[in-house]
Amino acid sequence: MPDFSLSEEERSLQDLARKFARTEMAPHAAECDRAGRFPEEIYRKAWELGLMNLNVPTEYGGSGLTLLQQCLIVEELAHACAGMTTSIIANCLALEPILIGGSEEQRKRFLPGFCSEYHLASFCLTEPGGGSDAGALKTRAVRDGDHYVLTGEKCFITNGPFASLYTVFATTDPALKHSGICAFVVSRDTPGVVPGKEEEKMGHRASATSTVRFEGARIPLENRLGGEGDGFSIAMRTLDQTRTPIGALATGIAQAALDHAAAYSLKRETFGKPIGEHQAIQIKLANMTMELRAARLLTWQSAWTIDHGQRGSLESSVAKCYASDASMRIADEALQIFGGYGYMKDYPVEKLLRDAKLAQIYEGSNEIQRIVIARQLLSAYA
Amino acid sequence: MEIVVLIKPVPEAETRLRPDRGGAELDPAGVKFVLAGYDESAVEQALLLKESAPGTTIRAVSLGPLARSEEVLRAALALGVDHATSVEEPPGVAHDPVQVARMLAFVVSRYSYSLLLGGKQSGDEGSGCVPSAVAEFLGVPDFGSVTDLKWDPIAGRFTFRQSLERTVLSVEAPPPVMIGLQQAWNDPRTAKLPMILRSRKAPIDRVPRAEVEALLARHPRPAVRAVSFRLPPPRMGARMIEYSSPQDAARKLVRLLTEEAKVL
Repeated sequence: MPDFSLSEEERSLQDLARKFARTEMAPHAAECDRAGRFPEEIYRKAWELGLMNLNVPTEYGGSGLTLLQQCLIVEELAHACAGMTTSIIANCLALEPILIGGSEEQRKRFLPGFCSEYHLASFCLTEPGGGSDAGALKTRAVRDGDHYVLTGEKCFITNGPFASLYTVFATTDPALKHSGICAFVVSRDTPGVVPGKEEEKMGHRASATSTVRFEGARIPLENRLGGEGDGFSIAMRTLDQTRTPIGALATGIAQAALDHAAAYSLKRETFGKPIGEHQAIQIKLANMTMELRAARLLTWQSAWTIDHGQRGSLESSVAKCYASDASMRIADEALQIFGGYGYMKDYPVEKLLRDAKLAQIYEGSNEIQRIVIARQLLSAYA
Repeated sequence: MEIVVLIKPVPEAETRLRPDRGGAELDPAGVKFVLAGYDESAVEQALLLKESAPGTTIRAVSLGPLARSEEVLRAALALGVDHATSVEEPPGVAHDPVQVARMLAFVVSRYSYSLLLGGKQSGDEGSGCVPSAVAEFLGVPDFGSVTDLKWDPIAGRFTFRQSLERTVLSVEAPPPVMIGLQQAWNDPRTAKLPMILRSRKAPIDRVPRAEVEALLARHPRPAVRAVSFRLPPPRMGARMIEYSSPQDAARKLVRLLTEEAKVL
């Protein structure tokens, strides 16, 4: 039988994240959203408490959390501010390729520094000409002796302007498609690494997003992860690992939307009674509750699957896709329950709707997730 | 320096409290018991002293139903306390501060200490007499409502302030002493994630119920029991007065206070 109860250890991690989210993040969420401010002081505090680099194992100075534990933390953080959460968990995404494709020497060289000092890292896969079609990337890596020379541009890079390290995917030969892709660890100090200006975004405005250009940046051979041509597989296995926490992030947004909507429905009165006593609103709240719980359970199940040693491509696609679609619907219904007030920036729900949208797009669009799901489904019948 | 800090599990501030079926006690179902308020300040104080005097060790001691006391002990371990002792509370004595203090003193006397710390009162019942009674049983001087506690290693004394009625007293005292701390003057820290994980695996020394029951049997007291558990009446909702001028607002307020609230 499945066991859905959390251990005391899991609860105490959840408590830590909840306390941090409520006391340090939530009070600044609206202001950072409005101003598009990257609150680095909050990220430093998150790092001090151990809420960054959640996926780094103990042997490299991390906490060695299970994916389920990571998801519990991410949901709590996202309840307060999804944008800040995206920036807090961006290191997990950027460091995962090193865990997956790096040699023992590379892991020891790159990972402990992130646990002993505050640094940000960015995952650089997406390019202006193609996001989901990762096999078609155009950034070139040309071998020159014991170096590779990187040339090209990456876009939508989380924490791009502030990162001290980038994990970059580039091709030695575009004609080779997937099998030409290599993964590199690139230090920000490398000449020819040029982060662009921060983008103006619809949501997640406390997180910084930019382009990162490589203008003939020389990367030493020892910074290549895995062999030549291993890059695509490293990227895909990384995303298999990091998709589930996006389900948790979406669940956190959805829980916040439901919390706001339910509380408001008991205060706001129409026709002589609180709107929460009207069935039209009750049906909305019940639907939101069902979808929220399904999103959380799928996320936990995916984390559990991966924690038990399976790759979890299908489970993580299902969790990420369902939770982010559900989160969008729940935030939309929450806004509807707030009516005209929900449309106003003085109330918290319109931010939730803007924030929920991104979870349907990043770390593999939900269309790509459905392709993955359908392929796996059909392969069982072929 | 060896510090023993006494901590009590109390209901989390956000918990919705309700009486149990008998109507005499808090219904513990769904209530989360935490390290909070005065005791949180006491743990923070112990950690500050440890940081200022290297070699200091801190032991936290907690009395209560095992699951609750061990939960707050783990919270203290996660904050940086070195050792923990849980004392399993026998039924029927929780409301008698003298018996509670007797059990705590009995356990504390096993350890060497130069400082006993606690909140000046607990965060729930707050009788405020347990620290003094523990001190009395142990023959140690005690001070309540303390802030700014420091250790002067040259003079070998503690220095601190006591907030008394309309005055603040600065005090010096040689060890050992019992100090009851004022709440939230030292901004308690938050436990870090790796420490939380470590605290889950840390050993907790247990004092079995039979031992404290035997102690209480040697020193019987008339039973103290709760008769009823009631919550304060819910607050009445605020009412906004619509007005056209300050004079109009005052007139309407006076009318409401006399005619509706009938308090004038």
